Amino acid sequence: MACSLPLCVITKLPLPLGTSAPAADAALVAQLQQGSEAAFRTLVARFQDRVYRTAFSLLRSPEEAEDVAQEVFVEVYQTIGRFRGEAALSTWLYRLATSRTLQHQRRLSARKRFAFFTSLLGFANNRLPEPPDHAHPQALLEGAQQLQQLQQQIGRLPAQQQVAFTLRHEQDLSYEEIAAVLGTTVAAVESLLFRARQTLRRHLQPSLRHV
Amino acid sequence: MSDFDFYPGSDAEWADLLRRLRQQPKAQPRPFFYARVQARLAARQAPAAGWLPAWARRPAYAALLGALVLAVSGDGPALRPAAPSGQPGGAYPSQPTPVAPR
Repeated sequence: MACSLPLCVITKLPLPLGTSAPAADAALVAQLQQGSEAAFRTLVARFQDRVYRTAFSLLRSPEEAEDVAQEVFVEVYQTIGRFRGEAALSTWLYRLATSRTLQHQRRLSARKRFAFFTSLLGFANNRLPEPPDHAHPQALLEGAQQLQQLQQQIGRLPAQQQVAFTLRHEQDLSYEEIAAVLGTTVAAVESLLFRARQTLRRHLQPSLRHV
Repeated sequence: MSDFDFYPGSDAEWADLLRRLRQQPKAQPRPFFYARVQARLAARQAPAAGWLPAWARRPAYAALLGALVLAVSGDGPALRPAAPSGQPGGAYPSQPTPVAPR
């Protein structure tokens, strides 16, 4: 097997048929910790969509989501030795994905604020880039505009509410899974989701009434 | 309590909006994602392997700093050759000639 990474010794995959998901995850983690590149490839293949979608639904930019998703897997590769299996592998990955995405979001906002500040002081004559609008006119007529408004409002929610809402309504995670990702209780997740929906409905109410 | 108790008039619209949010086409990374992750990992490991590690560079910096300190330390006059005998002041003409005690 070609080895471009230091992980290259063990190639025991695929796992035997009939292995349950937690057992399969545990076996995958064990192989990763022993340095198997095949296991790393399997991990990426199995979780890349979920990690990417989580980042995408919080950032709404394919480039930024790709960047975050790559960073998450690099972090997994570098820190898998410290993974002790207290949480499910998917929970750990969702946790990494959300925390990395929020970190990225904060960095983007800081950059945007700095660009705005320098433009006010006249240090830079560049205009702030607007987010690309890929909406087709016909799609807008079909109500995509409303969906776009909802996504914009989700982006304005406080970080925890935003993550909880996205994991629930876009990633279809259960309350228990979201609680594990956020490191909180199910009751706290219910509260976060309730407040998020309340805020979103309040802001979207006029547009909902007039459609 | 229901999630939709606050705005009874628009429950159906709100539920429909959430349904549409869930049913959006699933975003996916571009093909060959693994290759790009691998490239990023390799790029991150390359500087350490391809160049001297940080600890190896420190003695070089220390030696350079030492040489710089010696060069500007002001020891130049002490290393000058002694002046020929018979000249007042000997090796240090700028200093006064010592007077013998009476």
